[in-house]
Amino acid sequence: MPVSDPGTPDHTSPTRYLLWLVRVQRRSVIGVAVLGSLFFLSPALMPAVIGRAIDDGVAGEDTGALLRWAGVLSALGVLQMVSSVTRHRLAVFNWLSAAYRTIQIVTRQTTRLGATLPKRLTAGEVVSVGISDVARLGDVLDIVGRGTGSVVAIAVVAVLLLVTSWPLGLVVLVGVPLILALAAPLLRPYERREDAHRELVSELNSTATDLVAGLRVLRGVGGEGLFAERYRRRSQDVRRAGVRVAWAESRISGAEVLLPGLLVALVTWVGAHFAQDHRITIGQLVAFYGYAVFLVEPLRTIGEMAQKVTKGRVAAGRVCRLLAVEPEITLSGTRAVEGPAELVDAASGLVVRPGRVTAVAAADPRDAAAVADRLGRYAEGDVTYNGVPLAEVADVRSKVLVAVNEDRLFSGPLRNTLSPPSGASGASGLDVAIEAAAADDIVEVDGLDGHVAEAGREFSGGQRQRLRLVRALAADPDVLVLVEPTSAVDAHTESAIAERIGRARSGRTTVIATTSPLVLDRADHVAFVEHGEVVAEGTHRDLLDTEPRYAAVVTRGAS
Amino acid sequence: MSTAILPVATRAQVRAYAVALARRHPRALAGALALHALAAISGLVAPRLLGGLVDGVRTGTAHIDAVGAAIAGFVIVQGVLTRYAYFASARLGERVMAELREEFVGRVLGLPLSRVERAGTGDLVSRTSRDVGELSGVVREAVPEMVIGSVTVVLTLGALVLTGPLVALPVLLGVPPIVLGMRWYLKRARDGYLREEAAWAELTDGLAETVQGARTVEAFGLQRRRIARGDADIARSFSRERYTLGLRTVLFPVVDGGYVLPVVGTLVIGGLLHAHGHATLGQVTAATLYVQQLIGPVDMLLTRMDEVQIGGASLARLLGVGNVPADRVPTSARPDGERIAVRDVRYAYRPGHDVLHGVDLALRPGERLAMVGPSGAGKSTLGRLVAGIDGPRSGAVEVGDDAPVPLVELPLDELRGHVALVTQEHHVFRGTLRDNLVMANPDATDDQIRAALEAVDWDGPDLTVQVGAAGEDLSPAQAQQLALARLVLADPHTLVLDEATSLLDPRAARRLERSLAAVLDGRTVVAIAHRLHTAHDADRVAVVEGGRITELGTHEDLLAENGSYAALWTSWHGDRQPADNP
Repeated sequence: MPVSDPGTPDHTSPTRYLLWLVRVQRRSVIGVAVLGSLFFLSPALMPAVIGRAIDDGVAGEDTGALLRWAGVLSALGVLQMVSSVTRHRLAVFNWLSAAYRTIQIVTRQTTRLGATLPKRLTAGEVVSVGISDVARLGDVLDIVGRGTGSVVAIAVVAVLLLVTSWPLGLVVLVGVPLILALAAPLLRPYERREDAHRELVSELNSTATDLVAGLRVLRGVGGEGLFAERYRRRSQDVRRAGVRVAWAESRISGAEVLLPGLLVALVTWVGAHFAQDHRITIGQLVAFYGYAVFLVEPLRTIGEMAQKVTKGRVAAGRVCRLLAVEPEITLSGTRAVEGPAELVDAASGLVVRPGRVTAVAAADPRDAAAVADRLGRYAEGDVTYNGVPLAEVADVRSKVLVAVNEDRLFSGPLRNTLSPPSGASGASGLDVAIEAAAADDIVEVDGLDGHVAEAGREFSGGQRQRLRLVRALAADPDVLVLVEPTSAVDAHTESAIAERIGRARSGRTTVIATTSPLVLDRADHVAFVEHGEVVAEGTHRDLLDTEPRYAAVVTRGAS
Repeated sequence: MSTAILPVATRAQVRAYAVALARRHPRALAGALALHALAAISGLVAPRLLGGLVDGVRTGTAHIDAVGAAIAGFVIVQGVLTRYAYFASARLGERVMAELREEFVGRVLGLPLSRVERAGTGDLVSRTSRDVGELSGVVREAVPEMVIGSVTVVLTLGALVLTGPLVALPVLLGVPPIVLGMRWYLKRARDGYLREEAAWAELTDGLAETVQGARTVEAFGLQRRRIARGDADIARSFSRERYTLGLRTVLFPVVDGGYVLPVVGTLVIGGLLHAHGHATLGQVTAATLYVQQLIGPVDMLLTRMDEVQIGGASLARLLGVGNVPADRVPTSARPDGERIAVRDVRYAYRPGHDVLHGVDLALRPGERLAMVGPSGAGKSTLGRLVAGIDGPRSGAVEVGDDAPVPLVELPLDELRGHVALVTQEHHVFRGTLRDNLVMANPDATDDQIRAALEAVDWDGPDLTVQVGAAGEDLSPAQAQQLALARLVLADPHTLVLDEATSLLDPRAARRLERSLAAVLDGRTVVAIAHRLHTAHDADRVAVVEGGRITELGTHEDLLAENGSYAALWTSWHGDRQPADNP
């Protein structure tokens, strides 16, 4: 594990997904069912053997028989030892392969959906599939083995009981399911309370995580007492809910002692009468006592199986929902277009000339974002590249790269985080990009082999922005669209970046959506967008002089 | 960014704490133990009675009905006692767990400000969620079960000895395999399971990254890389699962052997004793049943052992938070004024690597000072020293007129009344908008709160609306407004704004600054500026370069000096002269 190809699951229904999981690993599932039967069989046979040992060996005072039966008992012990451990190994293997396989499938579907994913599902939903739902799926595969074993064990014991003494056998065979039926209603209030408790716990966890995430703010401006009190109140709510759960649960644990215990008492009483009348032997009486005690476990396993399969179906349902989502924009263009070429957005009237830096200054930042989405074909639009509609162009993603501030830095060595997957730009390309994004100081601290934490959260906002810029420049696409790439860096750095970006992108096409005068001043061409349309074009300085609305936007109304 | 990992408590500390915790509720603990003991005792009657019955049936002297009724009676008693014993220990567990987590949060809230500012929150978040959750399972389930298991084992052994000392002896056959097996296993299990868990955490973190960065994955064509990362995480997780599975593969047969041996031994030795007249058939039967009955509680005890061990590791991390040394030694001295001065200050994150090289700066009460300069020049460090969060390595940052007091000698509550730091982190807490504001001043009235919101040009939801992770989403601009409104309520005379407007789109930032200007009037403001118009609006501008203040003066002074500030300004504003005369 992992398998190189997790396969194509049947996600038309939750049950079918579960069956698919069973099918792809059917050999180990069958194996675990066989071993599960053996595993239950040895304790099932032990009461009978102990009974014979007592009859023939102890009561009959026959040392040979005693040793023989002791030998059989030891053999059963060895059988249990071996079947228990091999069954456990195989069950863990099944559990893991169902969980891992599903994680692989979820990962592949996530990468397939790309930009569509955040629009259709929350990240939390998908991640919880990867954390809790895979465990439920694993549980289903695990319980299949034990469940089969339980059924076999019950059948064997039933035969043994009825053959030995059918009236006493009947008492046991009716009594055990009756116990389970009687105990079942106790489960529901417990589950209800447990759900309520779990909800409060997750509420409490969120409160605590929230408090920790905002700890800097909290310690900076105060309010510790207020938050401690709020946490304490929630914590006490959880405690009370926990006690309510315990009350319901304690009824179950009491019943688990009481009900089988009463059956044992009944079996002992009836059995003793039978033994006195010589209808059964003493050893058989002891064996019946043993059966009544033993049968509770396999029957409980069957109850557990019903529960786990139900939960597994809910989990499988969530996986199916994720798998049913399709990408919004299909990238099926086939026409090869050689860059550099002109890129035209009909909706805004923006014309991006090849090989130059075009800045888009929008009065409303949403307009700039919409233009960027159309240029990169993240939204449908009437865009042409070298005269060819973008929808028909092959390999749009590798031709046009739209880098936004919502982009994530991934954890791992800094070099991997920054360099493009193809490695096309090589080490020198990365160095050039680092220099252009004025990110030398960040890289210097731990070097390119330094480790980036999740989402780059150890870096400040400005550092993250510069690292994202490095990555975008290093990818070196024909057309690079940058949206507000310097919004979080200081003026000194911004000025340096503005100066270097053009050099780093020479010969390539670059679009920068920005309202920063430092960046606009360095662009080859500036398009001013109002209400979704380009209303003025020229250089920064021209526009400052000729277009008062532009001047108002980029110098922010001049103080 | 240095991530100072938080300390972990020592074994001795954990043990002392656990003992203290157990002693905190002596009556509840004694009550639960007594109930468990009584329940266990009543559970031991049935095999003994069955044994007696066997002897009686053989000799024809059995009182079958009476014994049957007695067995049933004890079963009922045992059921009732078990129920209340269970409840009593669960209630105690809940109480202890509530105390544990509340004390932990108390420790978190008491963490030194400087450590919180510098350490990433990642470690703390995982202690708060993962370790508290882990420990909760241990305290609520594993510890009570271990207690029940121990009580039952001890009493069952007692009953076995009472049945007959000789037939009780074979039970010792199970001791060597179980003890040796468990010792071997426990020595390896804890690290094995911790590594296994860490691998799962990495696996789910990796998936979370892929999901949260789905758009980035598509834009940069990182699909293969993310899939490879996921598969590598799975491979690591699997190899760690295999290690612990290997441990169990050794342990299980050994322990199972330890369970079967006493049963076989009791039968054989009991049978031989019976043959030689040293034991009755009833004694052998009862002893065999007791030995079988031991398996359940022993198994319960053993399976919970490693959980308790792992719980100990979690507890060590929770307690460790309290081991961070205090960062300030408050004295009783109180400042007599609002003047803050920086005198010949040097500061280093790592010994021998000063990032500030002797900075002097006297703030004038009521002025607005903008700090500009390239990143890494020491602006933020200087800002933190001015805000009293860190103390300088040498030199001093003091507040007061004639008898100035170093900021790090003020207690935190006092410090916040003088100076506050606003960084670009704008956390919106879960709760109502009001909750998010009164934290800065618990005594604030609704009028004061509304006035603060008005001051920051608030255009978001009303005071009673739920905001934060579970409520209405606030835009970055609103989050920033909220942060500033908190400051208005906290009312310090000096403010340090670090990159406070960087995440806003430029026009929103502009609007916010304007509205704030009125509120901040009369307060001393140090603004670490990314945007040059902030500097332009300020009374004085300080240019920080290479850990020193290289230029200091009004905007006009610095333009006249024609230094690096002037160069930057020209580039920013193009040919157009700044509109100094609107």
